[in-house]
Amino acid sequence: MKVQEMALLNVQGVTKRFGGLVALNNVELSIKEGEIVGLIGPNGAGKTTLFNIICGFYKPDAGKVEFDGRNITGMKPYEICKLGISRTFQIPRPFPDLTAIYNVALAVMYGKDRANMSLGDALLDAAHYLEFVGLLRKRDVLARDLTPFELRLLELARALATTPKLLLIDETMAGLNPVECERALELINRARDEFKLTICWIEHVMRIIMKAAERVVVLHYGMKIAEGAPEEVARDVKVIEAYLGERRARG
Amino acid sequence: MKIELKRSRLEVRLDYKKLKLAWTIEPRYWRNPLLAWLALCALPLLSLMGGLQWLSIFTTANLCATIALPLLLQIIGTGRVNLGPQLFVALGGYTAGLLSINYKMEALQTLPIVIVVALLVGLSLSLLTILARGIYFSLITLIIPLVFMEITFVFSDVFKGETGIYGITPLFRLGSHLINSIAYYYASLMILTLYLFLVDKILRSRWGMVYAAINNDEDVAMMMGVDINRHKIFVFTVTSVLTAIAGWFFAHYFGTFAGVTYLPFTFMIKILFIVLIGGRAQAYGTIAGAYFVSILDELLRSYLGNISHFVFPSILLVLLVALPEGLWGIYRKHKYREIYPTIRIRR
Repeated sequence: MKVQEMALLNVQGVTKRFGGLVALNNVELSIKEGEIVGLIGPNGAGKTTLFNIICGFYKPDAGKVEFDGRNITGMKPYEICKLGISRTFQIPRPFPDLTAIYNVALAVMYGKDRANMSLGDALLDAAHYLEFVGLLRKRDVLARDLTPFELRLLELARALATTPKLLLIDETMAGLNPVECERALELINRARDEFKLTICWIEHVMRIIMKAAERVVVLHYGMKIAEGAPEEVARDVKVIEAYLGERRARG
Repeated sequence: MKIELKRSRLEVRLDYKKLKLAWTIEPRYWRNPLLAWLALCALPLLSLMGGLQWLSIFTTANLCATIALPLLLQIIGTGRVNLGPQLFVALGGYTAGLLSINYKMEALQTLPIVIVVALLVGLSLSLLTILARGIYFSLITLIIPLVFMEITFVFSDVFKGETGIYGITPLFRLGSHLINSIAYYYASLMILTLYLFLVDKILRSRWGMVYAAINNDEDVAMMMGVDINRHKIFVFTVTSVLTAIAGWFFAHYFGTFAGVTYLPFTFMIKILFIVLIGGRAQAYGTIAGAYFVSILDELLRSYLGNISHFVFPSILLVLLVALPEGLWGIYRKHKYREIYPTIRIRR
């Protein structure tokens, strides 16, 4: 019972169907405060669908999601955002016609209930977050003119600006070179310490996730097939089977 | 009061006892909105030389801009292209006209009722911004005015079908035709200035930031904590009311109102071109666009006659390709630090 109380996020028996396709089948996930949980799995395993359900963008067909002791199943995405769940996107989705600082200022202003905040204050706060990710000198550049790496940083700044308790990171490393990967990893670790974050992280770059995560959850065809410390999971027969095929797993 | 030239800027200083005001005008940018506005104020002088028909063309240009300005706010704020704001022009015009004819109401008496009617209809139609997206929203809003036009034909004993309502009480009765025309021009310019101020202020404020975000990607805006439905309903309703007031002015300006003039798509095309030629949803550019389109239309019609019907749209089409940022884009600074929403609709 104590463990249940400690958990920040509790996903219980979530099922999601798209027509005949079962994207998620009775998935259980529990994240304690202060953890970094890696969420891995082959393409189409339902990782992003799970994120979308946690964020409230999709409604689950069955099961419920609890956050901070509250049932958030079926709540609107903006209400969930105000409660303290924030996310980044697999393909960066900035607002291309806003400058970098306005992108973040929007998140500052609407990420929490700040009805009396002026635009100037929001811009000041946004500058702080931009400096944190190292993008301050690009503040007046339109988001559509930024490079892919800068877009990832902007996404992270925007996610942090809503002052979340739980940060959902969706494949930040995709399409980055090794140096940029290291910088992003260092940045996320720093963000976790500074803002006291709990992080759930989808990643395909195994080297990074094995280094960063304290616990790894593996999804395959919408089902959870393994959970535990990174080294354990890497040795798990079911996981190797899912990634590399049955023959390799036996050998 | 002292006027001095500092680094190619005009600085106006006013020292009166404790009151100290300084005000910088930058004439090197002749797009300076205030100077343009003063030029608009001086336009009736030009018409004294040229003839009264130009003054009525300018008044119509002002009114076209008053329809285009709310439209651009709506396109940005809802992220959807509305092809039927003329519905609200007709709604305002018919409400004003019918009240004025049947109940002998003055122009200022019909105004509150026009606002209430437009508010109710706009509020009920604003559900469309939640239900439909992209091209489906455009199609639905395109069809509704045409349905309304059919209604004016079917119930032609009320709406007077093709001939339209005539004998609506005029807004101004000041004696001579010249003074009346000048009064109408300044009244329309006043509404235009008010709308310009309103739209510009909104687009620069925190709401403008939200509207630009909704225009870019409303799903992401929702996940960043923005209650998008509330914003979309608000924008749609308010802009509908603003458009209806333009219709009210049309009715009391011309003294007649026929749905056939405004409800077909041809009128809408003109408004849409004004928004696009002016500068892809730039508030100040819209006014330049309105004057450009109106004057070009008139010049072509008087010099080319019947050929103008296809010369006019083809010139506009060429301009759409040649000026991707519209007339405003020619003068805009190339370093922008502001929110810069343009029309960009996803799906």
